Amino acid sequence: MISRLTAGRAVRSGGIFGYIFGVAIASSAISYARFYKSAAQRDALAAAYGANKATSALFGPAPQLQTVAGFTVFKISMTLMLLGAVWGLLTSTRLLRGEEDSGRWELLLAGPTTRRGATIQALRGLGAGVLTLWALTGLITVLAGLDASVDIAAGPALYFALAMVATAVMFLAVGALTSQLAATRRQAAAYAAWVLGVSYAVRLVADAGLGLHGLIWASPLGWVEELRPLTAPAPLALVPIAALTSVLLVAAVYLAGTRDVGAGIVPDRASRRPQPRLLGGPTGLAVRLVQPAVTGWWVAIAVSGLLFGLIARSAGGTISGSSVQVLSRLGSRGNGTDAVLGVCFGVLAVLVAFAGAGQVAAARAEESAGRLDHLLTRPVSRSRWLGGRVLVTVVVLLASGVIAGVFAWAGAASQHAGVSLPALAGAGVNLVPPAITIAGAGVLAFGMWPRATSIVLYILLGWSLLVVVIGGIGATSHWVLDTSVFHQMASAPAVPPHWEADGVMVAIGVTGALIGGIAFKRRDLQGE
Amino acid sequence: MAATAIRTEGLTKRYGDVAALDHLDLEVAQGEVVGYLGPNGAGKTTTIRLLLGLSSPTEGRGEIFGLDCQRQPVEAHRRLAFVPGEANLWPSLTGAETLRLLGRAWGSGGSGGSGGRVDEAYRDELVARFDLDPSKKVRAYSKGNRQKVILIAALMTRADLLILDEPTSGLDPLMEQAFRRSVREARDRGQTVFLSSHILSEVEALCDRVGILRQGKLVELGTLAEMRHLAALTVEATFEGAVPDLSGVPGVSSVQADGRVVRCQVRGPIAPLLKVLAAADVTELLSREPSLEQLFLAQYGARD
Repeated sequence: MISRLTAGRAVRSGGIFGYIFGVAIASSAISYARFYKSAAQRDALAAAYGANKATSALFGPAPQLQTVAGFTVFKISMTLMLLGAVWGLLTSTRLLRGEEDSGRWELLLAGPTTRRGATIQALRGLGAGVLTLWALTGLITVLAGLDASVDIAAGPALYFALAMVATAVMFLAVGALTSQLAATRRQAAAYAAWVLGVSYAVRLVADAGLGLHGLIWASPLGWVEELRPLTAPAPLALVPIAALTSVLLVAAVYLAGTRDVGAGIVPDRASRRPQPRLLGGPTGLAVRLVQPAVTGWWVAIAVSGLLFGLIARSAGGTISGSSVQVLSRLGSRGNGTDAVLGVCFGVLAVLVAFAGAGQVAAARAEESAGRLDHLLTRPVSRSRWLGGRVLVTVVVLLASGVIAGVFAWAGAASQHAGVSLPALAGAGVNLVPPAITIAGAGVLAFGMWPRATSIVLYILLGWSLLVVVIGGIGATSHWVLDTSVFHQMASAPAVPPHWEADGVMVAIGVTGALIGGIAFKRRDLQGE
Repeated sequence: MAATAIRTEGLTKRYGDVAALDHLDLEVAQGEVVGYLGPNGAGKTTTIRLLLGLSSPTEGRGEIFGLDCQRQPVEAHRRLAFVPGEANLWPSLTGAETLRLLGRAWGSGGSGGSGGRVDEAYRDELVARFDLDPSKKVRAYSKGNRQKVILIAALMTRADLLILDEPTSGLDPLMEQAFRRSVREARDRGQTVFLSSHILSEVEALCDRVGILRQGKLVELGTLAEMRHLAALTVEATFEGAVPDLSGVPGVSSVQADGRVVRCQVRGPIAPLLKVLAAADVTELLSREPSLEQLFLAQYGARD
C-alpha cells in the first residue's frame, strides 16, 4: 500500500526530471556538434577550459573538450548532479517526513505494518522513482547518441546516465536518514541541504587547483566526478557511492523503528520560556518565522562568496588570449580575476533568487495551512500582512546581495587579488533585481492563482537557470535567452552592472507584486 | 430593540453550480446567544467565512454591527473574536507566545469598539480554567490543547461578538464544561455569541435561539420553544384495565404497546389523544418534549 502510493508520486516526479535530464544532455551534445565543427574551434575551447581552474572549481574538470562526449560531461554534468541531489533530498523528505507530518502515515500504520516495514515500503517506492529517472535519462541519451554528429554508443550513454543519477540516489538516502532525525519536513530537507552544500564546497576546493585534489574522495559529489563517464570511465568509484547509500538506508530503516511516529531522533525541546521578541504584529511574526531558513541561505551565500573569492585570483591566472573570448560566452567579458568572479556571481545570483522564491512560497504556506486566518480575522488588513511579507522579502534579498559581495571581496582580498570592496558590493547588489522579478511574479501568482504559487516560482527559476546553462556556450536564439532573468543580469564585476536592465527587472517585479496584491485583496482565502 | 450584531441580506456563495449558501437572511441582536446547526457541508463554515470577509459572497451582503463585512473588515474585526474549528497554529511558537501574538494582533488595531486591549487578568484566569501549559510549543500540543489556545485567544479579548465555529472539537467533557461557563460569562457581560456546532446538547444548554441550515438554506430559526412543533411529543401512558387502540387517533403515530404500557408520538393538537385516554382507565401519564436532538433528527432524518 505505502509502497504503491509512494511509487506513484516518485515515478511521476522522476519521469519529469528524467525528461529534463535527457533533454539537457541531448541539447548540450547536439549544440556542441553544431557550433564547434572545426578542429580549430574545438582546440580553442579546450585551451580556454582545459586548464581553467575557475570553471573546474565550479563545474568540475574538463578533459577531452575536443570531443562531443567530453564537452557534454563538462557542460552539463555538474548542473545535473546538483539538480539530481536536490530532487533526491526533496522527494525523499517529502514522501517520508512530509507524509508523516500530514498525519497520513498514522492512518496507514494503524494497519498491519510496522514503522520499519512502512519505511522499507516507502523506500521501495522511492526506488521506483529513481529507476524511472535513470531509465528516461538513459533512453534520451542513447537516442541522442544515435545522431551521427554526436555518436555515443548505448553502453557509455547508459553509464553516463547512471553517473548523473548517482547523486539523486545518494541524496535520496541522505533525505531518508534526515527524515528520521528531524521532526519536520522542512528541518529534514534543511539538514540534507547542508550535507549537499558541504559536499559541493569540498569538491570545489579539491578542483580549484590548490594542490588539494585528494579531497575529492571526501565528497559524494567528488565520487560521481571520479566515475568519469564518457571520458575515462572508472566504475570503481561506484563502490563508495553504493556503500554510502546502503549505510544511510540501513540506518534510516533502523532509526524508523526506534522512534515514535511524528517525532524525530534529534530532540526538539517541547517547552521553553516565552520569547516575546517580534511578536507585536504580523510583520514581526514574518521575520521570526523566516529567520531559520534565511539564516541558512545567508550562510550558504556567504560561504560560497568566500570560496569564490579565494579561488578567483589563481583561477583567473589561467585565463588568457582566446579563452577570454570563450569565457565571454558564459557572459563574462573582463580579464582574469574579474572574469572568474563574473561567472561565480552568476552562481550566487541563483542562490539569491532561490532565497527570494522561498520567501514568497512561505507566505503562501501560511495561507494554505490556515494560519493566516488567525491574523486576518483580527484587525489586520490583507494589505498590511502582504506588505509586511514583501518588505521582509526585499530586505532579505538586499542583505543577501550585500553578503555575497562582501564575502567574495573578503576571500579575494585575502589572496591579494586586487579587487575593490565597492565594486564587489555593487556586483552583490546587482544580484538582487533578477530575484525581485521572480519574487514579484510569485506574488502575482499568489494573488491570482494561489495554489500555483510555488509552481510558478520554481518553474520560472528552473527555466531561467536552464536557459543560461544550456545557452551558455552553444549559442541559442536570443529570443529564448532573453526569457531568462539571469541572462538579463550583467555579469558584474567582469562588466559594470547594467542598471537600466536592473531597473526594468525591478519594475517588472514591483508591477507583478502590485497586481498580485490587488488580486489578493479581492479573492477568497484558499486552503491547500 | 437592541442593536444588531449580525445581519445578512440574501447572502449567497456559489462554487460553480453548487450553492454552498443560498440567500441567507439572518439577524442576530446584540447580547443574544445564537446556535447555528447543520450537518457537515450544510454551509455553516461558509457563512462564517463570509461574515469574516475571508471569502466574498456571490450575491447579497453581510454586516457586523452595521459594518460591511467585505468593505470594512478591519473595523468589523475590532469588534469580534473568532474561533475556527481547526487549530492550525505556528508549530514553533509556544502557547504563551501564540497568545501574545494574537492578543497584540487584535489589540494593536487602534481604539476600537471593544477598547482594543486584551484583558490580561482574564487571560490568566482562562489559562488556569482550561488547564493549559503555555510554556509548551504548539508542535508538542495535542489537538485539544491547540483548541484551548485559540479559545483563550478569542475569549481574552472580551470582544463584543464571539464567532465560534465548532469550537469544542477535541475538548474533553471537563473542558467542555469550562467552555460553557466561559460562554455564559460572556453572555452575562452582554457579549453576543454566534455558535456553530453539531454538539446539540451544547447548543441546547447555551443558546437563546437556534438556526438550522440544510443544503445551504436556513430552514428553521427560532427559540427552542418555538421549534418544538417541528418534532413530535412523546407520550407514555399506563392503563389499569384494557389498552385502547390509539392508532386511529388524529396526530398520533409510532404506537408501541408493551403489556399495559403504551408509547406513542403526537404531532399537532393533543386534545384528540387526551379524549381517548380520558375515556380509558389511565393510571400514569408521562409526556416528554422533543429534545433539540429530536428536532434536529426530525429535520434531517425525514429523508431516511
